[in-house]
Amino acid sequence: MVMPMDASLLEVKGVSKTFDGVVRALDDVSIEARQNEIVGVVGENGAGKSTLMKILVGVYSPDKGELYYRGRKVPFPKNPKEAAKRGISIVYQEKGVIPWLKVYQFLFLGHEDKYVKFSRLQIDKMKKHASQILEELHVKCDAEDFMYEPALSTQKMVEIARAILSVRLERGDDDITPVIILDEPTAPLTIEERRELFSDILNMKKNASFIFVSHIIPEVMEFTDRVHVLRDGKLIAHYDLSEEKITEEDMFRAIVGRKSSEYIYKPEVKRVVSEKVVLTVKNLTKNGCYYDISFDLHKGECIGIFGPAGSGKGEIIRTIAGIMSFEGGDLIVRGQKVKANELPHVRLGRGIGTFSGETGKELFLNWPIVKNISIVNIGKILRKFIPVISFNAEKKMAEKIVKKLRISAPSVNTDCYSLSGGSKQKVSVGKWLERSPDIFLLEDPTIGIDVGTREDIYKAILEMQKSGISMILVSDEPKEYSILCDKIMFIKGGRIQKVLSPEKFRKVMAT
Amino acid sequence: MKILGRKKLIPPVIIQTLRTHPVILALIALVVVFSSLYPERFLIPLNFKTILRQFVTLTLFALGPSIVVVTGSLDLSYVGIWMLGGILVWLLIPILGMFSILVIPLLGLATGLLIGVIQVKAKIPSFILTLGLLTTYSGLTATLSGGYPRSVRGYEFITAPLIPYLPTAFLWSIPIIIAAVFIMKCTRIGTYLYAIGSNEEGARLAGINVDKYKILAFTLSGLFTGIGSIILFQHLGGAVPIKLNLMTMVWPLVAIVLGGTPLIGGSGGPQRTILGALTFTVFYRGLYLSLLHPERIQLLVGLLLIASIVISARGLKGVTIT
Repeated sequence: MVMPMDASLLEVKGVSKTFDGVVRALDDVSIEARQNEIVGVVGENGAGKSTLMKILVGVYSPDKGELYYRGRKVPFPKNPKEAAKRGISIVYQEKGVIPWLKVYQFLFLGHEDKYVKFSRLQIDKMKKHASQILEELHVKCDAEDFMYEPALSTQKMVEIARAILSVRLERGDDDITPVIILDEPTAPLTIEERRELFSDILNMKKNASFIFVSHIIPEVMEFTDRVHVLRDGKLIAHYDLSEEKITEEDMFRAIVGRKSSEYIYKPEVKRVVSEKVVLTVKNLTKNGCYYDISFDLHKGECIGIFGPAGSGKGEIIRTIAGIMSFEGGDLIVRGQKVKANELPHVRLGRGIGTFSGETGKELFLNWPIVKNISIVNIGKILRKFIPVISFNAEKKMAEKIVKKLRISAPSVNTDCYSLSGGSKQKVSVGKWLERSPDIFLLEDPTIGIDVGTREDIYKAILEMQKSGISMILVSDEPKEYSILCDKIMFIKGGRIQKVLSPEKFRKVMAT
Repeated sequence: MKILGRKKLIPPVIIQTLRTHPVILALIALVVVFSSLYPERFLIPLNFKTILRQFVTLTLFALGPSIVVVTGSLDLSYVGIWMLGGILVWLLIPILGMFSILVIPLLGLATGLLIGVIQVKAKIPSFILTLGLLTTYSGLTATLSGGYPRSVRGYEFITAPLIPYLPTAFLWSIPIIIAAVFIMKCTRIGTYLYAIGSNEEGARLAGINVDKYKILAFTLSGLFTGIGSIILFQHLGGAVPIKLNLMTMVWPLVAIVLGGTPLIGGSGGPQRTILGALTFTVFYRGLYLSLLHPERIQLLVGLLLIASIVISARGLKGVTIT
């Protein structure tokens, strides 16, 4: 049966999902995947992409909604196996590969029963079948390789082949067009490997339809036929890239634009940045991540590194923090050249503090607020003669921060896991506010929190700037750059493209 | 109204303590059950003395390792330090005289340091590493002793009775317990060790030298076991067995877990281990007096360990063990 290209292969209509009766993860979302196309689903973290995909493969069940496969209404799957029966399979972002299995073992994992004869596996038949499939789908590896042997992009291809295969085996039909969900498939890959993977997937288009989940705009633009944009659990936009002319900026705005876009923080009188250089980065290079990065950070200055996800901005800030090492160039902190493989505690000794907004990364969730704030400030609360923690001083310090940042909690002894996302973030910032390092690295400082909390955190950060702390900011939120930064570096493909002032930056983002 | 009144009757401090240390309830329950079942055997001074004696043994073995468990690792070398230390005392006494007892804490310190460095550098599970070391030490003990248990005289003063019905070893263990709790609760070291167990990545981001403090945790554990073993050496008869006894190894683990220190780390610590040790001792003594077969008691001890591990890992309903 040949279906027309436009016919919808898989259609989801009006899906809603709430968690714990409160959080609206998805609100009346409809998407479709057509025959032999790549359809993008984009949105920020927490926009509902993952929830939607998990509903499609039967991890969650929706509160409301309908599923159509080839125009016929079918019930939502209850587990991945049922999803495969409906033609849907998924390739997860990470940890999908089992390194010590051979490629053919991995391909048929979970489907061995199809190759059992007299209660033993027909290994030869499996190998032969595997080789055929690898050839058909243009996967460049051998059925008898171990999974860890091929390049990362090829490993991803094997995973995709496995997903296609599971649908075929589940339905017992080799000519079916499966719908394969690719959940941020490029996250662990370098830029070169991404290219490789994309061209391979395009080759596979005749064998399957793909739902491509991502938040990396250039990738989506280049690679997909149509795009659905999700924001805060709602379907915001739908673009047909072959018909409409859409720019990266259009999509950027669709993805991040919030209802609260009226809120613009009015920075006070511009600070004068001193001439003193606290950090020099010279031709810093880490192959596969970023190349030839050079800049000077002055005392009291805030430099933003702006670029799409995967551009290398996160890697640069993590290198300066000491979480990653670098391969070429120099990093000079306050006139002192530092080694490439220094750990974060050594860098903190040099005055570099790191704050990452990713929830749960920084906090000690089973600890009360007071301990979470004192953890980087223990030096301040030790008694003079014997190095014993003064619980009184600790409590006073925490209370000061809680009051200053308006953290809503019953007391400083409240455990952090019971706090709201915004309050958690404030506690994380608060400890650095008290510590006040010379150089403060911010990675997505306000990710996933509401506007009011953002304002409080911006205030705290600006106050730190006024007291002469230098900063480097990396974020997915363009507005943040114009509020906080004195200088913004555009980065793409791991290289600095241009350097803009905040005013220019605002103009560029507005057009 | 009734409930409100009752709430006011119990001070919030006690409610809070019970909430975070549910083992206290178990302890009270055990004491009540055993004293009502056979008061003539359980509620006598001799029994209390025995409980205290066993409590000391357990606590001194479990105190050090519970510091390591806080960081999310495991240290099983304690029995090894005690056994090998005892034999070293026997070997050295002709040379060093009375001072040779100090070899035990030194051995503990060295052992802890060694385990820490290997664990951090080789990045292997501490469980298997310390188990291997324990086996090595037990083999070394048997080799050095020539295959016979050796008794050493001259250290009887360590456990010479001072107060009737109060074992001297118990008195000695008090400052050791206080020191351990103090280090974990009131110093930078303790805070950092809890941080590592709670969120290692976060600890690293907060500028803690994770490797150094992990080594320190093992070193402290070895040192505490070493100091405790001075007392245990005499407390357990002034002679050292050359065969590894499984129960000597398992009981302290039960005490740690029962006390509410989850093996994944991040919470608990010495203060809970003491409670665990006391509860376990009462549990064991109570069963012992019940005229059950020792084999059956062993069976129950095993079940208790499994049950307490499950509870400490999953938490009880309405009880957050943090």
